[in-house]
Amino acid sequence: MVAVSTATASDDEDERVSELLSLQSRSKSGVIRLNDQSLARYITSVKPPRPYSILLFFDAAQLHDKAELRLTELRNEFSIVASSFISNNPSSGGKLFFCDMEFKESQLSFSQFGVNALPHIRLIGPNMGLKDSQPMDQGDFSRLAESMAEFVESKTKLSVGPIHRPPLFSRNQLILIAVVLLFWIPFFVKKLLAGQTLLHDPKLWLAGSVFVYFFSVSGAMHNIIRKMPMFLVDRNDPSKLVFFYQGSGMQLGAEGFAVGFLYTVVGLLLAFMTHGLVRISNVSVQRVVMIFALLVSFLAVKQVVYLDNWKTGYGIHGFWPSSWN
Amino acid sequence: MAASDAHSGASIRHAFGNVLGFFILLLIGVLAFSIRLFSVIKYESVIHEFDPYFNYRVTQFLTKNGIYDFWNWFDDRTWYPLGRVIGGTVYPGLTLTAGTLWWMLNSLNIPLSVETVCVFTAPIFSAFASWATYLLTKEVKGTGAGLTAAVLLAMVNFSSSFVPSYISRSVAGSYDNEAVAIFALIFTFYLYIKTLNTGSLFYATLNSIAYFYMVCSWGGYTFIINLIPMHVLLCIVTGRYSSRLYIAYAPLVVLGTLLASLVPVVGFNAVMTSEHFASFLVFIIIHVVALVYYIKGILSPKMFKVALALVVSAGLAVCCAMVAVLIALVASSPTKGWSGRSLSLLDPTYASKYIPIIASVSEHQPPTWPSYFMDINVLAFLVPAGIIACFSPLSDASSFVVLYIVTSVYFSGVMVRLMLVLAPAACILSGIALSQAFDVFTRSIKLQLPSVSGQSNVDAGEASSGNVVPNDPVKTDKNEDTSKERTSKKSKKKEKEHVEKPVSKSQIKKRLLVLPLETSIIAIILLVLLGAFYVVHSVWAAAEAYSAPSIVLTSHSHDGLHVFDDFREAYAWLSHNTEIDDKVASWWDYGYQTTAMANRTVIVDNNTWNNTHIATVGTAMSSPEKAAWEIFHSLDVKYVLVVFGGLVGYPSDDINKFLWMVRIGGGVFPHIKEPDYLRDGQYRIDSMATPTMLNCLMYKLSYYRFVETDGKAFDRVRRTEIGKKYFKLTHFEEVFTTHHWMVRIYKLKPPKNRIRGKIKKSKSVQNKLENKLEKKRTKKEPLLV
Repeated sequence: MVAVSTATASDDEDERVSELLSLQSRSKSGVIRLNDQSLARYITSVKPPRPYSILLFFDAAQLHDKAELRLTELRNEFSIVASSFISNNPSSGGKLFFCDMEFKESQLSFSQFGVNALPHIRLIGPNMGLKDSQPMDQGDFSRLAESMAEFVESKTKLSVGPIHRPPLFSRNQLILIAVVLLFWIPFFVKKLLAGQTLLHDPKLWLAGSVFVYFFSVSGAMHNIIRKMPMFLVDRNDPSKLVFFYQGSGMQLGAEGFAVGFLYTVVGLLLAFMTHGLVRISNVSVQRVVMIFALLVSFLAVKQVVYLDNWKTGYGIHGFWPSSWN
Repeated sequence: MAASDAHSGASIRHAFGNVLGFFILLLIGVLAFSIRLFSVIKYESVIHEFDPYFNYRVTQFLTKNGIYDFWNWFDDRTWYPLGRVIGGTVYPGLTLTAGTLWWMLNSLNIPLSVETVCVFTAPIFSAFASWATYLLTKEVKGTGAGLTAAVLLAMVNFSSSFVPSYISRSVAGSYDNEAVAIFALIFTFYLYIKTLNTGSLFYATLNSIAYFYMVCSWGGYTFIINLIPMHVLLCIVTGRYSSRLYIAYAPLVVLGTLLASLVPVVGFNAVMTSEHFASFLVFIIIHVVALVYYIKGILSPKMFKVALALVVSAGLAVCCAMVAVLIALVASSPTKGWSGRSLSLLDPTYASKYIPIIASVSEHQPPTWPSYFMDINVLAFLVPAGIIACFSPLSDASSFVVLYIVTSVYFSGVMVRLMLVLAPAACILSGIALSQAFDVFTRSIKLQLPSVSGQSNVDAGEASSGNVVPNDPVKTDKNEDTSKERTSKKSKKKEKEHVEKPVSKSQIKKRLLVLPLETSIIAIILLVLLGAFYVVHSVWAAAEAYSAPSIVLTSHSHDGLHVFDDFREAYAWLSHNTEIDDKVASWWDYGYQTTAMANRTVIVDNNTWNNTHIATVGTAMSSPEKAAWEIFHSLDVKYVLVVFGGLVGYPSDDINKFLWMVRIGGGVFPHIKEPDYLRDGQYRIDSMATPTMLNCLMYKLSYYRFVETDGKAFDRVRRTEIGKKYFKLTHFEEVFTTHHWMVRIYKLKPPKNRIRGKIKKSKSVQNKLENKLEKKRTKKEPLLV
């Protein structure tokens, strides 16, 4: 009797594994979409130990537009891990399945897992039930696919292997670009020799260099590398927005661009006065424009000095003779 | 008669300008030197920070043992047990410079110590750097002699001798590569522009030699060898090819590359790494272009069109082949032939993702906008005006400066350390902007002042001859016979004239280009105020922000000045109380100082060439005591040194650097997992800390007996009470803690005997002999307790 029941159980399990494998192969990235019924079929109704683990991504389409949750990004990373795992480990297929769930389709399962905040990823090991499955910490998906893979490796003892990110351009696109370039080069060289390209326009170079200057002094590279938001929402008063962050180690996007603009505008006005305005013959126009330019420059410098003192807290002072005090 | 009067007046003005210019130069040199002495006055004549200690040690070795021994020096006091080939891995420029200075002074019977020479090398070279900046600017804007030149000189020198970001790396005592390298960088650029303006092979050769000096001094030479080809390419693409460009570029590549490969640390890298490939590619292109121009010269226009098709297709084919070879070469190496630091410039997010050891260094962080205000101050406002001034008119030289500022400002945006390269460019451009602004405003005032309106005719003529020389080629030509300028200057001027002729229309029109009187006065006042603010800011930065040697610390409180000299106390203790061959382990930051000041062997130091070795130390620091003891014991370490700021509130201590130890350690040894140390994504040492954190060696060595200081164990850096206050050390013993607890030194306990348990059980005297025998036997085995 016992032998028969184990045999049927293992048949049952094999059947489920092959079902999952076929579901997996049908999905483009290898992520299986589960709902309440299929979750019951593959997890709750199978007696532990199951022959497979499931890594479950909880998704909600209605929250995709909330940028701070980064759901779509994480979902993409999740599918990258999935496809990398499948392509790296063809032999251990059937040990670990990557699945996701949509909130609208499977609200029951969300409540069964006790999930009430997203993003949320859970690993259901072979011996675990719904409640005691392991959630992934915030830190484990902070570094995206790489850290998810580490989490999987540490919990399941299965190795994910190197992450294969899809290249920026597909092969066909690359070929197309190469062909277009090849065709374009002779025309370009011809124009170049004639000296008629955009490259020969100093105004373009001027605009470009001033823009690069503006871009750099505004600390935009800092914002890109650190992925800083343009502004923050005030913690104490959610209706207020914080544009300026106090403390010199960090800056917000809007803040950087504002100060970068102030940095740049003074120089541009000065250059306008010395190069453009002198050529105008009307004295009163010159006078009005100059007063305006000087006022704006003065205010801009004053504002930057004020902001800098406020942000860094440095007390810049002169070293006057002591008898002056 | 009137003409000759005007003539003699102009030449007096000319001479006056020259004399004034000379004195300004001299004073600026003195100023640039003396503003960097705050650290000596406020502290003492001492070498600063970390890297300078290594340079100092190398210089000592050089002066003691001579150049050949220095070249072949294998240092066994560091990276134990690997050692380091110093001669082949160090940029020797700074060391050789200071060594030569010391040797010269000593042969003049001025007995200065090596340390003194090292301390003052940076201020001396910053004076040179400000002079070089002036030369470069003069070459760029081509202002003739006279008062305008003096104004320009004052402005540029003034900004370059003050610019805080350069001060930060060149205060007295900051004996680092950048101190001489910035001078070399600017001087190389100056010679390049000089060659470009004159087309003289003499300057081209000098340029290669200056480049060689730069390669000797700093890894940043790759900036030159990429910027100059970029400029050449730009000139070619925008149709500015000339034989002068060829002379400026081709000898530099050939001679420069040959010379660069003489420096051991560069060697074959000069032809084999991707950083240099751009220069070779442009070298090929400029030859193709030169050939095209040559053929154009010898053929009739019709024939040329036929030949052009031929040459262009052949040239393109060659280029394509070369590009293919280059790409294949590049692709064959794992990092695509680029070093990590260069890659992180091109793809700014590269380092933070893949190389924690580069990302961990604070000067490799991207700066925020206050850094620009701190480091180039009001120059940040003036640079855009300078860019525009360079575009009107655009010459070969001014396009170079524009390219220089654009690339350096981008790079400085990626890494705060490269602010240093931006500084000279910012000085040049704001100097140009300021002198142009002063030119326009003073001219406006001068021509419209009611008191001189009667003489305005003469004045105007003179003013334009004195002030606006570049737009006045006819005048220069006239002056040529009588002027005492050297021939090179003359030929340069001819070049200038040829470049700028289309812009200068007429003298009369120039006179009319004025602004209203009152507003000009206000503008001048505002500009002067801006300059005054710059001086105040820079002096403040030099005195307060950048002059701390970081080896001696001070703090002001209500009861006066406190001096923290714990580092030297600790190093002195090490050198007096330990064996000469003992090995000291610490985090890599303190490696150079330990070897230089305590003269003890270290495991890792600031030359982070071996990631695995550093990861080993990081792993030991983040392991529990026993595992750490085993790691250290396997490295023959006898003492462990930790820096702890919790008592006095010194923020850059080892607990704050701990995340990098875990990250770097975990990168090589996967059993160290960062999440084990994190609570809610943060490193915490209070009661919320994770058990792994509370048991790791770094926590224990830092906080051992800390509770005895105030009874609460309150950490002033983290502003919290620590999580675990009472614990004992099992494998380490405290041997020395400095006055303010900033440096704590521990000794590894000797291996415990396995039999000790047995001794305690059988306390009988008879067994003693037996125990002794057993002890001898077990001594050979590695002991695991």
